[in-house]
Formats: sequence, C-alpha cells, structure tokens
Amino acid sequence: MAKIKTIIVDDEAPARDIIRHYLKELEEIEIVAECSDGFSGLKTISSVKPDLVFLDIQMPRLTGIEMLEVMTEKPVIIFSTAYDQFALKAFELNAIDYLLKPFPKRRFLEAVNKAIEKIRSGSETKEPSQLLEKKPEAAIPVNRIVVRKGSAINLIPINQVKYVEAQDDYVMIYHASGKALKQQTMKFYEDNLPAGDFVRIHRSYIVRIQEINRIEPYEKDNHVAVLKTGEKLPVSRSGYKHLKEELNF
Amino acid sequence: MKHPVLENRSRLVIWWLAWLFLTLGQALSYYLAYGSFAKVSILDAVVSVLIYSAIALSLWYPFAFINKAESKPLSLVLNLVITGAISVTCWMLLTKLLISQLLPEQSNFDEYWNATFPYRIGSGVFIYGLVTLTYYLFVSLTNLSEKKSREARLEALVRETELKMLRSQINPHFLFNSLNSVSSLTITDPDKAREMVIKLSEFMRYALSKKDEQPVTLRSELENLMLYLEIEKVRFGDRLTTEEQIEEKCLAVKMPVMLLQPLYENAIKHGVYESTESVMIRTRVSIMGDHMEITISNNYDTTPESRKGTGTGLSNVARRLELFYGKEAVMKTSREKGVYTVSLYIPAYCM
Repeated sequence: MAKIKTIIVDDEAPARDIIRHYLKELEEIEIVAECSDGFSGLKTISSVKPDLVFLDIQMPRLTGIEMLEVMTEKPVIIFSTAYDQFALKAFELNAIDYLLKPFPKRRFLEAVNKAIEKIRSGSETKEPSQLLEKKPEAAIPVNRIVVRKGSAINLIPINQVKYVEAQDDYVMIYHASGKALKQQTMKFYEDNLPAGDFVRIHRSYIVRIQEINRIEPYEKDNHVAVLKTGEKLPVSRSGYKHLKEELNF
Repeated sequence: MKHPVLENRSRLVIWWLAWLFLTLGQALSYYLAYGSFAKVSILDAVVSVLIYSAIALSLWYPFAFINKAESKPLSLVLNLVITGAISVTCWMLLTKLLISQLLPEQSNFDEYWNATFPYRIGSGVFIYGLVTLTYYLFVSLTNLSEKKSREARLEALVRETELKMLRSQINPHFLFNSLNSVSSLTITDPDKAREMVIKLSEFMRYALSKKDEQPVTLRSELENLMLYLEIEKVRFGDRLTTEEQIEEKCLAVKMPVMLLQPLYENAIKHGVYESTESVMIRTRVSIMGDHMEITISNNYDTTPESRKGTGTGLSNVARRLELFYGKEAVMKTSREKGVYTVSLYIPAYCM
C-alpha cells in the first residue's frame, strides 16, 4: 500500500517537532514536507499534493483557515491549534479533526486514524462552501479577503473593497485594483463586512457607502445607485430602505 | 435607625439643657402672666416639661416609622398631625393628673389651669413641631452623609475593579502554545523542557500574585518581561531577538504592575506572528528630568494586508496610565520604515 503523504504546517518549530515525533511510529505515514508559514504551506500543498495536512491556524502571512478557503484540491486536514475559538470554523471548513495544543498522544492517534480511514476509503471531501453557509460568524475579525487568481494568492484588504456582487455560488469582489471571484455566500459578506461601511442595496449587491455618488430614481418605485466610478447598481425596495436607515434621509 | 438622642451622650446633655430652658421659659411666662400663682407656675413648668420631654423622646419611634413607611406627602402630614394631636392630649391629661395629685389642697389650681389652657395647647403644638423638625433634620442629614460615603466607597470600588480589569490577563494563546512547546521539548530536549517549565512557572507566579494595584519597581517588571520573552524565544527560535538598553538609575522607579506586558504582547502579535523574517524587540529606558521614558520598538512585515488588531491592548495601557498618573503620563506610538514604536513617559517616582 502506498504511504500517506503528509505535510506539517506550523510556524513554531517545537510544535512541528512533536507532530513529527508522534508520526514516526506510524509506518503508513510519510512526512514529505514541513512549512512554517501560510504562503509556503499553500504552495507546497499545491505542488506536492499530499493526502494529509496538519495545519496550525495562527501563522504569518496567511492563517490556516484562509489557506483552506482558497485551496482547490483539498487534502484531509487536521487542525492543531492552541486556542479553541476557531474550532467551529475549522469544522465548517470540513477539517476531519481538531487538536488542541498541547494534545496527548492518544488523542493525536485518534485523529490520525480517523484521517487514515478516510484516505483509505477514498471518500470525497465535501466542498466547504456547503458547510460554510451554516455559520457565517468568523472567528477572526474579517479585515482582509483571501482570493486565488490562477496560481497566485491575493490578499484584499477590506478597506479596498468597493462592492460585492452575487454570482450563483460565488461572489465577485470589486476592489481598488480589479475584481476577484470567491466561493462564498452573500450572507457571509452581509454579516462580516463592517456594518457602518457597507449596505446591502439589492439581493445581489453589497456596496461600500462611501463609493455611492448619488441615488437616482429608475422606472417606477425603483432606484439605481450611481457609484463614483460611474457604474450603476440596482437598488431594491428593501435595499432602498436600508440605505435610508444608514444615511438618514 | 438608632435613636438620635438616647444613643449619644453629648446630644442627650443638649437635649436636657433645651428642656431646662423651656421649663424656665414656661415658668417665667406663666408667672408674669398670672403673677398670683408663683408656686404653681414653677411646679407646673417642671412637671409638664418633664412629661413632654419623655413624650418627645419616645416620639422618635413613631416618627421614624412614619417617615420611612409613608412616601406620599399628604399621608405623611396627616400621620404627623394625628400623632401630634395624640401627644399633646396625653401630655395635657398627664400634667393635670399629676399636678392635682401633688397639690391637692391648692384650690385655685382649676382657675389657673383654665386660664393657661389655650397657651398650653399652643406651646404643646409648637414644641411638637419643633421636635418633629429636629428629627426630620437629623434624618435627612444622616441620609446625606451616608449617601456621600456610599458614593465615595462605590467610586473607589469602580476604580479598583476597572484597574483590575485593565490589568493584562494572561493570553491563553501564549499559555497553551508554551505548554505545547514544553510537551514537545520533553521528547527532543528534556533539560530545556524543565528550564521552560520553571520560567513559565515564575512568570505565572508573578502575574497571578500581584492581585492588588501596589506599584512595583521597573526592575521586577523587566525581570518578568524578560522571562516572558525567553519563553517566546523557545517557541519562535530565531524569529525573535531582543535588545535592552536600560539606564541603571531607572530600575528603582515604581510603576503599575504588568503595565508593559500588553505592549510586548502586541510586539509579538503584530511583529513575530505576522512575519516570516526575524523580528527584533528593542527596549530602551532612560530618565528625562523628573520623568522616565520607556521605548519599545519592533520591526514588522510591511505588506499592507496584514491583519490589524483591535487596539484593546494599547487603549488598556492608556487608560491605566490615566487612572494611575492622571495627566502626568503620556503614551505615543509611531510607525516608520517598518518599525513600530511605542513610548511611555511616566513620572519617575521612587516611593
């Protein structure tokens, strides 16, 4: 049987040491790489295509959660982190298990066995988007959005986001230097973009208030929001009500 | 509420002096008005004032009860009037009974009694009013001073609680990651693991033992912070380096306990956590006149996308400075060429 290709991603050397040590006894597992930050982790995962990844959450440049959000082919993930505020989020992203540091060996082996079973049975990893919708609350305050463009990973600071447009299962994020597609729900952005800065003007649009230049009537009962860039976005009746509340007119 | 007169010796003396004055007043005025009854006037004054004094003393109890129970002004007044009527009636009946017992042979007593009757009622009501007012004044003054001391106590409590709340709590992230490092080191380097457990214990002991807001010396603050940084160095290896320049005479300066901790935590969080490069945390402390300047700086990853904090750490430090030093302390932060610097200027007290 082929060995299970495994990568350890953690920014703290002692944390990687103990995982490596525990895994040494398991014949089936082969550690193919170790990474100490989110970017290199993502790069290594897409080039090595491992079966199993141990993933820390709090890391430089890209958190483990952000990594998972933009991974296209997902290996089996075991999160290992010190603090449990992220646990729910991790399971939403369909991690197979979640280890709280410091973890006992017994608990560690339990998680690994679960992972091995899943890899050997070859069952498909569910797409995270289905699970993500359940709980939009982010554990880390959202002030950047991670998107993938081809093989490049981009971080868009929230303060550069102009508006968000719904596109089926995706959202298109229009920002200062272009646009980016991401598999996420409008609900997520409605809940997580700073409420005073953004307003949902339509089922398919969330706009940064400051980007709105004026609001014009359009046909009967309807309005359009004209942005500073000249773009026109439809405003629904309830969206118009939201705007009225936010802007006090 | 305690009896305002009976519970206090000096008030009791004043109380009796006041009644003595009333006795003399009544005796003199009745004698002057009805000159023929000198003996009766004196006896009458002594007896009636003694009786009224006893009634007035016991009046405190119904008064305190009425004052507490009745919130509506109308029923309060009604209750006081009824009490007053009963008191004055009792007083007159008792006085008449006692004097007629003491002076049975004095046949002109009835005449005297009838002549002074309206004045008796008048003075009875007047004294009743005076007594009630005195009690009323006493109650409101007591309430006022109680309220003041309660407010002062509450204010002190709020301040103390706030100071405690602002005291940096041990970051669970730090604690559990450190314990994870220990767990790992027990396998790879047991000696180092033991060393780290000891450092962690010392740090925790310091952080947990200083429950009150007693100022500590810069020396013990720095010793503790160095422990903290050494623990973090085990976690982050080469990614964290530190450098200190401390003027010797600063070490005895007193300051609030764990004041600087959040600043180092920030340096780790925004510097080390977010950077793949090595981060240097520099600490400089020097004396400037009667103030001490503490400067903590760290380089950080300048990519603009890095996560921002909520600013809780900094605002907590600022609030603590304000509560502790008033306007005497200043905190400044700056960002320049990828280096974040926070400076504190605090009075160099050596208590």
